[in-house]
Amino acid sequence: MDGLEVTASWYLILAAALFAIGVAGVVVRRNALVMFMSIELMLNSVNLTFVAVSKDLGLIEGQVASLFVMVVAAAEVTVGLAIIVAVFRKRSSANVDELAELKG
Amino acid sequence: MGNASFIAVAFEVVLLTGALVTILVGVVAGRNRSVWGPLVGMFFLLSAVAGLWQWLEVQADGGGLYFSTQNLPIMRSPMVVMDGFSSFAAVILGLVGFVAFLGSWDLQVRLGKRAVEFSSLMLLGVAGLHMMAATPNLVVVFIGLETASIAFYVLAGFTRTVHGSDEAALKYFLLGSLASAMFLYGVALTFAATGSLSLYGENSILNFLSSHIVSQPGILLAGMSLMLVGLMFKISAAPFHQWAPDVYQGAPNAALGLLVAGVKIAGFAAIARIFVEGMASQIDTWAPIVAVIATISMIVGVVMALVQDDIKRLLAYSGVSHAGYILTAIVAGSGGYSAMWFYLATYAFMVVGAFTVVSMVSGPGSSATSIDSLKGLGKRNPEAAWLMAVLMLGMAGIPFFTGFVGKVLAFTSAANADYVWLVVIGVVTTVIGLAYYLRVILTMFSSDEGVELATLDVSMSARFAVIIGATVTVVFGVVPWPLLDVVRNALPL
Repeated sequence: MDGLEVTASWYLILAAALFAIGVAGVVVRRNALVMFMSIELMLNSVNLTFVAVSKDLGLIEGQVASLFVMVVAAAEVTVGLAIIVAVFRKRSSANVDELAELKG
Repeated sequence: MGNASFIAVAFEVVLLTGALVTILVGVVAGRNRSVWGPLVGMFFLLSAVAGLWQWLEVQADGGGLYFSTQNLPIMRSPMVVMDGFSSFAAVILGLVGFVAFLGSWDLQVRLGKRAVEFSSLMLLGVAGLHMMAATPNLVVVFIGLETASIAFYVLAGFTRTVHGSDEAALKYFLLGSLASAMFLYGVALTFAATGSLSLYGENSILNFLSSHIVSQPGILLAGMSLMLVGLMFKISAAPFHQWAPDVYQGAPNAALGLLVAGVKIAGFAAIARIFVEGMASQIDTWAPIVAVIATISMIVGVVMALVQDDIKRLLAYSGVSHAGYILTAIVAGSGGYSAMWFYLATYAFMVVGAFTVVSMVSGPGSSATSIDSLKGLGKRNPEAAWLMAVLMLGMAGIPFFTGFVGKVLAFTSAANADYVWLVVIGVVTTVIGLAYYLRVILTMFSSDEGVELATLDVSMSARFAVIIGATVTVVFGVVPWPLLDVVRNALPL
């Protein structure tokens, strides 16, 4: 397996791809839950970037940052799912296209 | 070890204590608003006092960086900065929080037992907003941003069972989280390019950029752009403003003052700290982008506000144009700080006052708020109508109101930085913008013939909030010098 060394840039490219998939998911999919999952994917791609850079540069700050991001993401899930459940209970649907009460 | 200091985090400590105490008192006192209501107001005022304390300390000693130590490698870079910039933001956020709390009191009366949580979230949100202005670390900026945003998603959906509030909360949540994630990826890429998350100190981004040649300029550029996009979303600058009108329309009327004013103050403080200070050497890269965003914001905000029939959507688009005007001050770099702070400090009070008038007329919850609902306000409640007229003239930028002084300052600083074309667009859009502010005023003082108009009774607290907003608008419009002297000292470290 000579010549196939996995460097930090591989991780960065993977993270960029995951981030792009996340953005595409938010833009293309119309189900609030799937859009929310895509946002979580974006946050995890950020974590991957932080950890890979941290390891590459020998700086611990990136790994600490990724822990904080995980905590914030967990807090976001709590509120986000509650909002989606509230919408679903009222409308029996989590499709954002059916939310057109507010014009725009 | 290290340089931990209580005073540097006094504002957050007061507000977070307040949020916890409010919840605990709420458990005991429950529906008895006369117990915890004054308590919340007191905590907001105390936080402004804490900000004032920081301000006096900074003016005496020059402030500094806190919460770092050389002993621990992860704590090498400071986490908190106390300077004129952060302490001025503390004073303004504390006062705006207090006035917004007064304005939201009618809603809290209606919410019953749930109102305790509402007040508590307001306190938490303001603490998060100030973290954005008072930290040199990009990850802490993100944590402050999310603390405030998550609290505000809930506030937007608080009246979830009626008219569009749940829809507003969902839209705010999805687009807000998208913006936060973009900002965070920008932080990560900046970290990848420079190896630093800190805006100040020895191993800051600025020091790295001045002593090294960036090996991956593309990554740095992408990082800067993503951070900029994330923050532009939050301050609702066009073309990242689409969420604002929908969210404002659906959210409870009485909660909007803080949502709009607070996020603008903190968002601009963060933009100034990260870009004007932390990326000072890259100003030739980001300033043109910001200038273009400012142009689009001014034009889109003014044109779209002209065609709105809903007063809250009108105020949302007017907010987009105001974001554009404040960005003209950012474009000027560090020369625009005093213009930015003057504009933000006065606009915040105007906007809280205006949304309080809307909630007086249409009720504090989420409800339809067409401009026509203001019809006859001049007869139903002349005081509210005149105060609203003052606020509208202030936003329009008529001489002798604060909006005029703020715009003159912002345009002057942009002209000094050789962005004359931006100033021309700003002046033209200001003149066009007069039309919709005057439309609101004319609607208020017109009434259909032969229609019997019931007098509109308003509560003391809401009245008080609007009076404060209008007073700030007139007083600092006629005699701006005291406030100008203060904002000249509201400088970053």
